[in-house]
Amino acid sequence: MLVTRNAADLCALLVNELYGQLPSRIVAALLARGRSNVRDLALHTSLNPKQVRHGLALAIQHNLVFYQTDHETATTIYEGNPQASYHLARVGKILDVIDRKYGVMAKNLVNDLLMLGHVEVAELVRYHRLKHSLKKGRTNGEQNHDHDHNLDPYPYLNNDNDFKNGDPDDPFNDDSHYVNGNGTAHGIADDVMPIQANEVYDTLAQLIAAGVIESVSATMFQSPQDLKASVEQECTKEFPNGVRGAKVTTEFDAMVKSQIRAIGVERTTMKRKLQENALYEPSNIKRRKLANGGMSNGFAGDSGGSILRDEPNTVVRLNFDKCLVELRNQKLTEHAEDFVGETTAQVFAALLSSLCKKVYRCQHDQHTIMTEEEEETYFTGVRVTSEEIFDNLSPGVDVSAGVGTASEEDIDIRFAEKIRKYPPQIQGSHLHETLDEGDEILGSDDEDYDRSGEHLKKAHANGHHGSIAQNGTKPSRDHSGEGQSSRTEQMRQMRQHLLILAEAKQQFVRHCGQNEWTVDFGPLIQQLRYVELDTMIEDNFGRQGLRLTRILREKGKLDDKTLPAMALMRKPDVHVKMAEMEMAGFLEVQEVPRDNNRAANRTIFFWFFDEARTLKRVLDNVYKSMVRCLERLEVERYNKRNVLSLTDRRDIQGKEEEMLRGDVYNEYLEFTEIEKKLFSQVSRLDDLVSIFQDF
Amino acid sequence: MDEQTALLKTQLYVACEEACSGDPDRLFTQEDLTALDVIPPKDIKKLLQIIQILTNERLFAPVHLHSGLAWRLRPEAEAAKYKQLTSHDQVLVYEIIDAAGAEGAWQQDIKRRLNVQDNALRKALKELETKRLVAQFTTVENISKKMWIKANIKPSSRATGGPWYTDQFLDEAFIEALQSVVMSFIKNRGSYLSKGERSARSVSPVLPKKGIINGAASEAAIKSKKRTADVISKDEGPVTLAAKSRKTIRLPLPAGYMEYPTTEEITAGIQAAEVAKGQPLKQEHVQELIDVLVWDNRVEEIRMGNRVGYRAVRITKQNPSLYSKPGDEDFWESRSNGLTSVPCGKCPVFDLCEEGGPVWAGGCEYFDQWLA
Repeated sequence: MLVTRNAADLCALLVNELYGQLPSRIVAALLARGRSNVRDLALHTSLNPKQVRHGLALAIQHNLVFYQTDHETATTIYEGNPQASYHLARVGKILDVIDRKYGVMAKNLVNDLLMLGHVEVAELVRYHRLKHSLKKGRTNGEQNHDHDHNLDPYPYLNNDNDFKNGDPDDPFNDDSHYVNGNGTAHGIADDVMPIQANEVYDTLAQLIAAGVIESVSATMFQSPQDLKASVEQECTKEFPNGVRGAKVTTEFDAMVKSQIRAIGVERTTMKRKLQENALYEPSNIKRRKLANGGMSNGFAGDSGGSILRDEPNTVVRLNFDKCLVELRNQKLTEHAEDFVGETTAQVFAALLSSLCKKVYRCQHDQHTIMTEEEEETYFTGVRVTSEEIFDNLSPGVDVSAGVGTASEEDIDIRFAEKIRKYPPQIQGSHLHETLDEGDEILGSDDEDYDRSGEHLKKAHANGHHGSIAQNGTKPSRDHSGEGQSSRTEQMRQMRQHLLILAEAKQQFVRHCGQNEWTVDFGPLIQQLRYVELDTMIEDNFGRQGLRLTRILREKGKLDDKTLPAMALMRKPDVHVKMAEMEMAGFLEVQEVPRDNNRAANRTIFFWFFDEARTLKRVLDNVYKSMVRCLERLEVERYNKRNVLSLTDRRDIQGKEEEMLRGDVYNEYLEFTEIEKKLFSQVSRLDDLVSIFQDF
Repeated sequence: MDEQTALLKTQLYVACEEACSGDPDRLFTQEDLTALDVIPPKDIKKLLQIIQILTNERLFAPVHLHSGLAWRLRPEAEAAKYKQLTSHDQVLVYEIIDAAGAEGAWQQDIKRRLNVQDNALRKALKELETKRLVAQFTTVENISKKMWIKANIKPSSRATGGPWYTDQFLDEAFIEALQSVVMSFIKNRGSYLSKGERSARSVSPVLPKKGIINGAASEAAIKSKKRTADVISKDEGPVTLAAKSRKTIRLPLPAGYMEYPTTEEITAGIQAAEVAKGQPLKQEHVQELIDVLVWDNRVEEIRMGNRVGYRAVRITKQNPSLYSKPGDEDFWESRSNGLTSVPCGKCPVFDLCEEGGPVWAGGCEYFDQWLA
């Protein structure tokens, strides 16, 4: 993550918003000054070392800060983790997505984790139950100690002294629900039965297996660069003669690589154990969720919960990388809905959710620590079959809708079902190394198409005696025992949606083999970046501005004679638009003098569109805009401080309507309106940051 | 000039005329002329003499090429016009204008090439104009330039700007109207109009949905990992009901559709619709229109083998009606993102904005309006 001034401001504000001023000041100082030790930090933050240490503990607890201890000098150097700080802007969205995918309890668990930072499993479960039982206690007071008799082997502590951030009633409760804007963060827990430890363990195990929550190891507190450096240092000890010469260097590199892989394996031990033993499949997840209602779920014996229970000291934390994957799926689905249609988007969502079972992060660079298995996934890509997608599809989706009909002879199945074995190349990237049979690419692209579509179509023709349009016109049709053919029929319709997605200009989906599908995230996200950029340009400079920039993007540099002719616009209009866009930083101009005396009328002006620069600029503008929203919120809070000091009182919280005087209450409502608006704006801006940078 | 020379001259001219009947702008080099077999071979002197005569009679117009000298044939009617010219200046000026052809010659250019006085040039041009040999015109590329052209030919399309210009001005209304015609053509041919009331096929009371009881017993349901019917719970309830009642929209066509209109078809469509009667639109002009629509992000190219068709983007969000009045939005739901809605996205003083500066978030009047 490129940390500009605006980005650093934003990180500090976000930390302030969620965890308070102390860590915020430390994070701000670290981002502004770079790596520092406690003494430097104390100097820059004007705090005393004790306070700094206190704040650092809190920051480390939430992984906002990396540290590295030099064993020889015994000094510890701290370094900001801007990525983690920025992730705080997404907290609301993440909770939302977790709620939808894994259920309320999962959401509450994640919420607790966000509050606690990293924590031991047993501790987390205890905290979770305590917190939600407290809620209960408040509603029907006599149940306060009801849960003492259940299986939890860990005695309750009456307070939260052992938590490093030690603030059970921090403002986080409010934050979490106003960031995502659905105000129901904990309301649900009120009317359920006392929470069983089993359930909590099971949900937790499920989240760990899915990768949403990860187990923490000591190496995670070092920045990836430091970690690599220290591994390298370790490895140099093995080579007393120094690393010289090609052979030794390769040996050394291999050693470093295997050590880093070992770290990756170590980090995912728990996850793999759970995955192997409990076989978490999405269908099981749903069943488990439903099982809360009292259904027995058949694998209580070897469930992940019991595995987890055997290792109560495992430390866990939220894995933002996986959360980002979930958010990306959501965003892509929204885009598919925008470009193609609603039903198609739902099919796409099903595809993504089955595709991403094995995808644990959106991006990776040379510092990312992965296991071998993960690496393989990234370089070969993952693929899913139509059947898997179909099983993931929510039964509420009517796959027959959302596609127009066309007569059969207008459709060429060879083009519709065309198989593309290889991903499209992003501009400037090198041909994939594995393609040594390069001459085959063209051939296969032209010849190959998926014939299974034809079979399905035949089946459909036999089974239903006609086209889809007739299905509904024969109401008395006997459909007992048609389960199979109806499945085939629906599968055929679902494939239509997938084919449309594959055919779309944005290439949402790639039909990569017989009945197999994949998504090339890199090129697709690149497309979406352009889409967002275009939206911005069109909104600011109108349709003609968009036209001009897109011409430049396609043709490269153009002088101001050719441009008006291509755009079918009047020359003065073009000049005005170009000047406007250049001022706003969307276009660049290059002057090429025709002779030595550089007179303006003897100079050719070439316009061009510098993509990388524009994206960087826009991204920074987004950060700045987010900062402004949060700053504005501060000001609003200050303006309404009289009201807010009232609503902050314990006895009023949650009961504002009854407790406050009419006019005060109205003012409070006004403020929440504004707050909601500003936070939803921040979250919309974050959507842009995600697309431009994190997906 | 003896009789033989005169004969040879006519023969050579006729032979040249024949040789360039296919291509009136063909140039003849010395080799070409000898190859015509009119002049006895190796008689360079004769050839030179005859070419000299023809050039003097304006039947040959010399052209300088990189490879040397060549001649272009001038029709006799054109050559006759030179006879009307009375002064030397007139001849020189007319020669330049003649050579410029349909592109026309710029007055400044003529002056520079002939190195004559301004007065003399103006006089010559005036005389030529009164003899109806040349005419003045303006080119769209530079309206202020005084351009001259032979009176009997029309300025080239580069000078007039093709069909998009009316009286040297870009006819934006015309272009816009044509664009909407093209747009509606593409929309109509490349999408499926779904009316608000949903036909029986999609509601389909017969088709068992996945997981309905009798389906659950089937082999497929057992094989699949789907939940059984009795666990269907309320969490998926309202998904379809909300979608049922909606307005008319356009839907995408199935993949592999081969009938997305191509440039030829769109051109034919425009011609058939007779929307541009006075200006016959050629395919390349329609292509220009389509290109602009592509750049405007309204239309996208779709290739099916060798066939390059066009279809509308975001088809489900397009305004379903084919005919749009000026000022209508193209999409019933326009795209937006974070920066288009926050005041900062359009803030004219965004660069100045900072805490403690002249503009800052707390005192921002755009925020005031937006939050109010």
